Amino acid sequence: MDFTFPKEYELFRRMVREFAENEVRPLAKKIDAEHRVPFETIKKAAKLGLMGVPFPRKYGGCGAGEIGYCILMEELGRVCTSTATVIGAHTGIGAMAIYLDGTEEQKEKYLKPLASGEKIGAFALTEAQAGSDAAAIKTRAVRDGDYYVLNGSKCFITNGDIADIITVMAVTDPSLGARGGVTAFIVEKEFPGFSIGTLENKMGIRGSSTAELIFEDCRVPKENVLGQFGAGFITFMKTLDVGRASLAAACLGGAQAAMEAAMKWAKARTQFGVPIAQKQSVHFAIADMATEIEALRSLVYRTAWLIDTGQPHIKEAAMCKLYGSEVASRCINRTLQIFGGMGYSREFWVERAFRDARIAEIFEGTNEIQRIVIASNLFRELGLRISP
Amino acid sequence: MTVIYKVTVTLTCGRIIMDFALTDEQRMFQKMFADFAEKEVKPIGEQADYEELLPMEVLQKAAMQGFMGALFPEECSGACLDFVSYIMLLEELAKADVTTAMAVSVHNGLAGKTILDFGSAEQREKYLEPMAFGEMIGAFALTEPAAGSDAAALESTALRDGDDYVLNGNKIWVSNGGIAGLFVVFAKTDPGAGAKGISAFIVERDAPGLKVGRREKTLGLRGLTITPLYMTDCRVPAANLLGEEGQGFKIALQALNVARLSLSAVALGACQRAVEEGIAFSIEHTQFGGPIALKQAIQNFVADSAAEIEGLRWLVYHTAWLAEQGEPFAQEAAIAKLLASEAAFRIANRMVQVHGGYGYMKEYAIERIYRDTRALPIIEGANEVLRFVIARDLYDQAGLKIKP
Amino acid sequence: MRIIVPIRQILDPRGFTVSPRHERIFINREEYIINPNDKNALEVALSLKDAGDAEVIVIAGGQARLDDALREAMAMGADAAYLLTDEVLAKTDAAGVAEALARGIEKIGDFDLIVVGQETLDTADALLGPWLAEYFGVAQVGGVRQASVSDGVLRVRRDWGAGYAEVEVALPALLTVAPGANKPRYPHGGRIMAAYREWQVNIWGSEDLGLSAADLILLTQRRGRTFPPERTLGERLTGSPQDVAAELVQQLRLRGLVG
Repeated sequence: MDFTFPKEYELFRRMVREFAENEVRPLAKKIDAEHRVPFETIKKAAKLGLMGVPFPRKYGGCGAGEIGYCILMEELGRVCTSTATVIGAHTGIGAMAIYLDGTEEQKEKYLKPLASGEKIGAFALTEAQAGSDAAAIKTRAVRDGDYYVLNGSKCFITNGDIADIITVMAVTDPSLGARGGVTAFIVEKEFPGFSIGTLENKMGIRGSSTAELIFEDCRVPKENVLGQFGAGFITFMKTLDVGRASLAAACLGGAQAAMEAAMKWAKARTQFGVPIAQKQSVHFAIADMATEIEALRSLVYRTAWLIDTGQPHIKEAAMCKLYGSEVASRCINRTLQIFGGMGYSREFWVERAFRDARIAEIFEGTNEIQRIVIASNLFRELGLRISP
Repeated sequence: MTVIYKVTVTLTCGRIIMDFALTDEQRMFQKMFADFAEKEVKPIGEQADYEELLPMEVLQKAAMQGFMGALFPEECSGACLDFVSYIMLLEELAKADVTTAMAVSVHNGLAGKTILDFGSAEQREKYLEPMAFGEMIGAFALTEPAAGSDAAALESTALRDGDDYVLNGNKIWVSNGGIAGLFVVFAKTDPGAGAKGISAFIVERDAPGLKVGRREKTLGLRGLTITPLYMTDCRVPAANLLGEEGQGFKIALQALNVARLSLSAVALGACQRAVEEGIAFSIEHTQFGGPIALKQAIQNFVADSAAEIEGLRWLVYHTAWLAEQGEPFAQEAAIAKLLASEAAFRIANRMVQVHGGYGYMKEYAIERIYRDTRALPIIEGANEVLRFVIARDLYDQAGLKIKP
Repeated sequence: MRIIVPIRQILDPRGFTVSPRHERIFINREEYIINPNDKNALEVALSLKDAGDAEVIVIAGGQARLDDALREAMAMGADAAYLLTDEVLAKTDAAGVAEALARGIEKIGDFDLIVVGQETLDTADALLGPWLAEYFGVAQVGGVRQASVSDGVLRVRRDWGAGYAEVEVALPALLTVAPGANKPRYPHGGRIMAAYREWQVNIWGSEDLGLSAADLILLTQRRGRTFPPERTLGERLTGSPQDVAAELVQQLRLRGLVG
């Protein structure tokens, strides 16, 4: 067994950390306050290959696999969850679906500009009444000659309004249900009939945009069917599995940053005549954080390794997402408490990190869904199929 | 969720040994509070959060109902509520909007009650009536940059100069700071004497040398106008000394006891609103072919929350009852604040989870409640300090003195 | 056009603290990074490559760990890397390294330009540039900020008193780049992976360079180290803003710092 990172990953982490500290951190407060996407960061990231980290170099990516991608997400998660979310939705689910199930032509045409960061990607599955219950989607796709005609709307789509290329799930045969009746399509924003609805006003990750997408007789050429016809369910499940590990990596970065901030503050803040770092309540809070973070780190990178080596990873990815988001929320919550009133003030990043962290327990499958995924995988080993 | 149980526990011989029943008057009050909160307060919550300012009209309307002088006697135009009724007022207000409840609580409990209990006849006459009419909003300025949880470490000074005191120092985290007409300010009249050197003063907003700073931008409670206060040779007439010189620490502690009890009532109200929101959403939102209310995970969230709320309600009411009886209630108030504030955030957090993605969007009230309730474990004595206070009391009884 | 950039490595200053009080250096994390000034030099070379047709070769001499520095340089955009190391070269000093680098560059073949960082951050030695310029007998320009090539002529902007001078140099030449002359680019993510997984660093030992231990006798000898005296806190003025300002002006006058 060898738990050390190869040297290329050490250098990659050093580069990404410097990038995050010098280019991302100075903007973090601003993009939250101004409620805008950091396009300047995306441009800089693209120049360094950071918009396509997991994909092979022949498609314009870094060829760093899921492990490299998790390193990127961890380092971005340390400084700005919004930026991590924008790049994560682009890479981890938007482009990832095309990488996992696209034909060679589709990869040439769509993955290349996505991986190089020329174009932005998004992934559109959720609908108003189909969030956790992804199989209940209503958006319809009907064949018309060489085209499919899409009708319906998607909600809570990260990057929805800034994306050029969107992977969209639509029902092609309502009689077959989720398995067999749903197909994935690659939609370009220029396609006729595609438009952007309202943008959401959110508690946190305000530097990322969350949009409603509307399809009104949107015509998609038939060669833009992604993966097998009727197998959209498999495409999005596979994509989300991979996305979950990297999401947990961003949580890992956030948790680590929270702990480090708490320690610095506790060392500097004096009450009752001593730094509060001398108080046992603080020691135990830090010890608990450090333990959870270390466990999370092992879980995340082991899962990334499972993905990179082509081993089964559905259960582990769900565990990453579940545990990662809760660890991040717990850590930042403890840190806010250690900061006291200062943590409640918008002057400090703790407040923003607290708001940002909360979404991780919800998006890309709520934690309740992760628990269902984990339990159903475990019970399946006993030969029992459970329904949500 | 608004159900107050009329329970009377009796012995078989018929003698009443405990009485959990509200009086007819209290039940009438409760209905009135609930109506007011629902009609006047609930609609302004979202706007107050967005604009980061509590509309003054809501406080004016509250004054017209007597809620801005809730604890004052009738001769000061107060409503002369008993403590249990007062707690119910805050609870109902918090159900509608946590920020409004906090503003009313700071005004009544921290500023008004302190002047009522320790003020001279002249001070009461001068300040309580305008407060009760909502013309003068009260605030409470204790915390300093270096003295948050550690109140004895105050650095502000108040030195006697003829018929005046001259105050110098900075205060932070003054709730209602943006709208207050008067501040109860704590400063050391004897800077060398530690806690015993602290005195309390009534400082009017236009006192020379007093500057109300730029409002804090906070995670939640955004309508509360939390500000710093800067005092530079701020002259306050000696007649505005509250109680006696050196009595400040005692005044602060008593005010904080009331504040902690009040805050637990606010937390209790917030818990109930959060669960109401969660229940309503879980009925209306469908996943996997039915409302999510049918899922056991959601039911567990609701049941756990309800159980916590029910436990809290009686803890909070009991503490209020103790206060009303004139019994010591410092320990109970600390326990109530500790449990209620953590429960409020925990329950709000759960109910965000029930809402899923919608809970993260500002369109839904739970998003605001989540941010608002996060303040509760921090303000009016951080929970870490309360744990110490509770433990200290217990060790005290066991004969061991412990220090923070 | 072939550009050679020598790369040196230093202990990451963020990983240690210098304590004048204890007269000790506390190393908390032993990690080596490319000498920042050498990154400035590499950036000058790479920007010449961006602007036209150029091949950038990086070379380093000394300990085996320089391998990481060279791979990072390749990830930043260098086309090839040479590492001069073996037991003999690992033990030499800055002068020995300079001699080895000179032989190594000679062995690589013709070059048009050598771009060197003016000094190292750790020991602040600045001998490499002049040493190589002397060895190859080419013109040297110091304090370089920017460089561009057109029609076979190199135009250089260099420090000149409080301003800059624009200098034209015939090739081949050697530039020593001023510390902080530019913001070096980040290594590219994909090139990082390739630098370790696909690309090679060519390794030459002392024998390949025609050097023996006798040629690399140390010119410097370490006798120990001393620390500068601890700086004392200044004087703190108190009082009203007017008083403080008046006092400050008087104190500055007394010290002859203002007229």
